[in-house]
Amino acid sequence: MKIIKNIFDSQRKHFDKRGKWEKFYPVFEATETFFFIPDHVTQKGPHVRDSLDVKRFMSFVILALMPPLFFGIYNTGYQSNLVSGLPLDFFTVFSKGLSIVLPLIIVSYAVGFFWEFLFAIIRKHPISEGLLVTGLLFPLTLPPTIPLWQAAAGISFGVVIGKEIFGGTGRNFLNPALTGRAFIFFAYPGKMSGDSVWTVMSSVKTSAVDTFSGATPLAIASITETYGNIEASLSKAGFTFSTLFWGNHTGSIGETSSFLCLIGAMILIVVGVASYKIIIGGVLGALITGGLLNLIATEASMPWLSLNPFYHLVMGGFAFGIAYMATDPVSAPGMETAKWVYGFAIGALTILIRVFNPAYPEGVMLSILFMNLFAPLLDHFEIKVRLRRRIANV
Amino acid sequence: MENLLSIALNSVFVGNILLAYFLGMCSFLAVSKKMETATGLGFAVIFVLAITTPTNWIIYHYLLAPGALSWAGLPAADISFLKFIIFIAVIAAMVQIVEMVIDRFSPALYTALGVFLPLIAVNCAILGTSLFMVERNYTFTESLVFGISSGTGWMLAIVSMAAIRKKLRYADVPEGLEGFGITMIVTGLMAMSFMLFSGITL
Repeated sequence: MKIIKNIFDSQRKHFDKRGKWEKFYPVFEATETFFFIPDHVTQKGPHVRDSLDVKRFMSFVILALMPPLFFGIYNTGYQSNLVSGLPLDFFTVFSKGLSIVLPLIIVSYAVGFFWEFLFAIIRKHPISEGLLVTGLLFPLTLPPTIPLWQAAAGISFGVVIGKEIFGGTGRNFLNPALTGRAFIFFAYPGKMSGDSVWTVMSSVKTSAVDTFSGATPLAIASITETYGNIEASLSKAGFTFSTLFWGNHTGSIGETSSFLCLIGAMILIVVGVASYKIIIGGVLGALITGGLLNLIATEASMPWLSLNPFYHLVMGGFAFGIAYMATDPVSAPGMETAKWVYGFAIGALTILIRVFNPAYPEGVMLSILFMNLFAPLLDHFEIKVRLRRRIANV
Repeated sequence: MENLLSIALNSVFVGNILLAYFLGMCSFLAVSKKMETATGLGFAVIFVLAITTPTNWIIYHYLLAPGALSWAGLPAADISFLKFIIFIAVIAAMVQIVEMVIDRFSPALYTALGVFLPLIAVNCAILGTSLFMVERNYTFTESLVFGISSGTGWMLAIVSMAAIRKKLRYADVPEGLEGFGITMIVTGLMAMSFMLFSGITL
């Protein structure tokens, strides 16, 4: 540690005011604070509403992302080896998964930090740790087969258009990771949805599986045609409620295990990063909407309507989205009642889109972005209502 | 009834006149700076649409459409090529009335809206709604519902834009993008989020 400290101390003069690399001070500062606690800590929060230090804030999110990350690596490798007929012991599977997921994460961080550094140097603002979270959240929402250059394009769009042009962390109004994902979702739909993108086939195909269906639970649910039968056709395809809950199935890298997302959500709530109101609101929204749809379901209607609402919670990216994306404190509303409404609307919209919109099998991503748009409006209304109440009490 | 509901939902969310068809952009960009003016203009647009769309329906179906003049003994006449100019004239007249009403009852809003109130007359959302009404063969009631809900969709967009711009006051936008530049980008991002509903057929 002493050696590293000495390196920084000896180089500092070049980066200070009037040093020869004065322009690159943000890079120096970011690298230094990566190793050492800075003398100066953020006085105000990442955005006006919170008093947590940005670094601590972001490290907690990263910590909470670890369970889905490691399970995602394992599961990606497992699914890949399963269909390629390769051995399924832990180390083979994990290293396989690592070889698929690690490049994605490296690309996401490298490209993301390139933009962050560029903006920091030109616009002379400090490099923010927000990217550590965005750069990790983003690859976890991607299917494992995504080409690396598309991931690079996505994170570029998310970081530049979703965040940097608004002035950096805390000033954006959409979740940057989801903005990037939505961009590549619309730009390269063939690589972002469908049945073949969720599993990496090894080129060394040894034996066994000639045909396999890579369909996700949501895809299976939306093609089921008989009334009241989605649960049955799901379990025929190997997706029982417990598989879906524990997460050993196909899907985007980080989203499959609802259980681990639940643990992540717990961590975030306990350390005060995520608002439990948004999470509970979202779960209630999904359950109530799902339940109401059950009530109007008849023999003649779409089979989707009759699905047990609890299945909605464990299918697709709902758990991941509501735990890590919807609770992003920058793009969520800051007022307390508004958070309930916001979470509830995300849950309800997700279910409505899954059931009624044939264009997308999944609705979490766009529901969260959609409600991000209305978060400032919800805040505005709640402030107005509270002000009115205050005057009445005087 | 179900038909009317689906038209309403369709024009507020799925085919939002602003975020799906990009009509009415100029006043959307210019008046969304403040919440109060945005709300005021939103209501004004709803009101104008609620009057002009059915009025234009009547004019189109009893004067302009092919064969509409049969009541006057001219069954072969087709003057539907006049619809643009007539629709614009109706809209301009209606906007004049709305302007006088607002001036009378809410002078503050009148000054706040300034030049954008008469500019509703050339707001493409208004003319667009009338033309869509013709194109989609709506009945009279449908055209009324369509007008009101198109306006509601427009208002929803401008009000949420005003709220976002209020939040963006804390943003630090690069020099070249300040003002309209960033507003255009925000509009694009809003439209992307509204893609949530695209594909729903009601």
